[in-house]
This record gives sequence, C-alpha cells and structure tokens, in this order.
Amino acid sequence: MNEASPRNNQIKRVGFILLEIGSILMSSGASTERVRRTVQRIANSFNYKAELFITFSALSITVINPRGSDTYNGIKRTPSHTVNFKTVSGISRMSWAVAEEKWTVDQIRHELSRLNALPHYSRYITLPLVGLAGAAFCRFAGGTVSDLLIVFVATVAGLFVRQEITKLKFNQYLCIYFASFTASLIAGLSVKLGMGGNHEHAFATSVLFLIPGVPLINSFSDVIDGNLQNALIRGLHGFVISFAIALGLLTSMILYKFS
Amino acid sequence: MDWTLLLEKVVWFGIAAIGFAVLFNVPVRTLPATFILGAVGGFCKLFLLEHQTTIILASLGGSLAIGLLSISAAHIKHAPPLVFSTPAVIPMVPGILAYRMMLGLIKLAGDVTGNSYNSILNETVNNGLKVMLILMSLAGGVAIPMLIARKESVKHLRLKKKITGTDKEKV
Repeated sequence: MNEASPRNNQIKRVGFILLEIGSILMSSGASTERVRRTVQRIANSFNYKAELFITFSALSITVINPRGSDTYNGIKRTPSHTVNFKTVSGISRMSWAVAEEKWTVDQIRHELSRLNALPHYSRYITLPLVGLAGAAFCRFAGGTVSDLLIVFVATVAGLFVRQEITKLKFNQYLCIYFASFTASLIAGLSVKLGMGGNHEHAFATSVLFLIPGVPLINSFSDVIDGNLQNALIRGLHGFVISFAIALGLLTSMILYKFS
Repeated sequence: MDWTLLLEKVVWFGIAAIGFAVLFNVPVRTLPATFILGAVGGFCKLFLLEHQTTIILASLGGSLAIGLLSISAAHIKHAPPLVFSTPAVIPMVPGILAYRMMLGLIKLAGDVTGNSYNSILNETVNNGLKVMLILMSLAGGVAIPMLIARKESVKHLRLKKKITGTDKEKV
C-alpha cells in the first residue's frame, strides 16, 4: 500500500456512487442531459471532474481529481427502463442538497437506499385511476357513457394483465402486446355483443393507456440537447412499443372480423 | 361555445393527467399541480380548436401552456418540471387519428386498386402527418419554455423578473 491509497479509495467510492446514480436516473425516465448534469453536479461538490458517455443500456464514466493525478474509470449497465418519477424527483433534490451542504458518500448512499425503498402506488389506486384516464381518452374522441364504461373496464383489465405478465419477466414489448390484446379484446367483445354504438371510439381508445409518452418526449428533448444517438434509440424504442400496441389491436380485429 | 361541455372535457383532461401521473409513480405532493396543468393545457387546446385553429397548432398551444406552468409548479412543489409536464401532455396524444392511420396502412397492404387505393392513401398520409406533427408539437411545446430561458436548470429561474435587492428594500 502506498500513501496515495486513501485518496484513491475516495475517488473510487465517488465514482461508484456516481455510476449508480446515473444508471438509476437513466432507467427511471430522465433525459440524457439531465443524467449528465445531475452526475456532474454531484461530482463537482466533491471537487472532481466527471466525464460521461451515456447510452440507452449502459453508461461509462471517468472521474478526475483537479490535479489530474487520480482517475476512476467505470462502466455500468442500466437496469431495464421503467418510468419512476419519484426517484427522478428524489435524486434531483438530493443532488442540490449534496452540492449545497457538502454531503459525504455515506450520506448519499443512505439517501439512495431510502429512495429505492419508497413505495409505489398500490394496485387498488393505480388500476381505477388509469382506467379513468382511458375513459377520458374515449370522451375526447366523442364516446357516450356506455363507451366510457367499456373503456374503463378494458383499461383496468389491460393494465392488470400488463402488471402480471411483467412479473413473469417476459420481453417488455411482448408485455405491451398482451396488454393491448387484452384491452382491445374486452372492448371489442362489448361492441360485438351490440352494447356500444360506433365501435371505433371504445375499441380504438381502449389501448391508449399504453402509449409510450416518456420515451417519445425524452427522444425529442435529446434531439434538442444534441444527444442524437440516444434520441434515435429512444425514438425507436417508442416506435416498437407503438407497433406492439397496434399488433395487439390487429389481433383482436382479426378475431372479431372488424374492418 | 358550449361552456358546460368545455368544462366537462377540461375536467377529463385533468383526470387523465392524474391517471398517467400515478402510472409514472410521481410523488404524491405533485398530484394536485398535475391535475391543474392537465386541465389548463386541455382548456387551451379546446379553446383554440373552437376558434378555427388547426388541431396541430391547438396542441402546440396547449403544450406550451403546460411547459410554462410546469416551471412555476417545479418551484412551488420542489420537483423537476418533467414530473408535471409529461403526465399533463399525454392526454393530448391523438389516439383516434393514430388508430385510423394504422387501419389505413393495413388496408393499403391488402388488395386495393384504382380509385379506392388513392382515397385510402390520401386519408392515411393525412392522418399520419397529423399524428406526427401533433406528437412533435406536444414534445416541442413542453421544451420551448426551457429553451427560451437558456438555463440548464429551472432551479434559479423565475417567471416574473425579480426586483433587484436594493429596489426591494426601497419598496
């Protein structure tokens, strides 16, 4: 052990935690520029300089001390992308606190584990509220009260199937496909039985709770910020999700012989 | 203009925003602000639509309103603006148009010839372009207020110009 080892240890610890923060932010639905800014803000508060290379599925970091005598290099894979704005908001607040109050690495680690343990909304809240959001889409399209009810039931069922299938660790696009198929199957059934007037309203809006809003909006912000690679990849991700939704709808249409 | 119908749809916009906010697992303290943002954005869109604006410009207006308000909301509730603006703009996504575009594409891939092919092609391209431009104006409208402010973070950004320290003391 040489005398530089404690300092070396510090830069390593900071680098580790920065990689972790970056990968959590990326997978929770922050734009590329936000990930970079947040990580650099925290690195600066330790008086280090951080350079990041951010992609959709992994990020790489170089942390340098002011004299350039110590560096840390690391790569971390990003966990699968699931939108979670509670962590985005929590980490953003934390980064300001770190910069203003000069937190230690241990404090950051403690706060990260607290943020990770924060509960999600329970299923009994999520299902009806998202069902209402689906009904709202139907209302904008000009649906009647019976259409709204149909879409509510279809959306709740579709989201339930999505949650259950995600637990079984299927491919994420396949999960979307199954959810879209379930929702449109239920909406289509009521149309087939003659409960709704015009089938277009209920049938088309029953799958809209699946639209990939966060990838598409982040794709646009990435274009503006000049992170064109990530923008293209996010756009493609959103496009494949849309395609999976359309495929689910199409399967129901073929089954019910709608045209 | 039918105000009760407009009001009802505006409330639905707010409800849809709340639904997506819950789906995205936002902090509980931001939910009321998200409802208001969604409702105001919806109101702007419907109001513009009533006054002979195209659906593309109306969506841009609605999302601009959401983008501006999300900066104030971020200050009041201490959360990044995207937490408010993303769930609020998603209800404006043109679902029916996208559905019609998809139907059109499927029909074009089938066996159609002559005049009916032309009319389906016309409709599909029209719907597809509308969907694309509306999506771009939604994402753009949310981003534009940040671009104009030329700030990396909204943390130190105030919508109203601040009175300088000395002036404030005098007043």
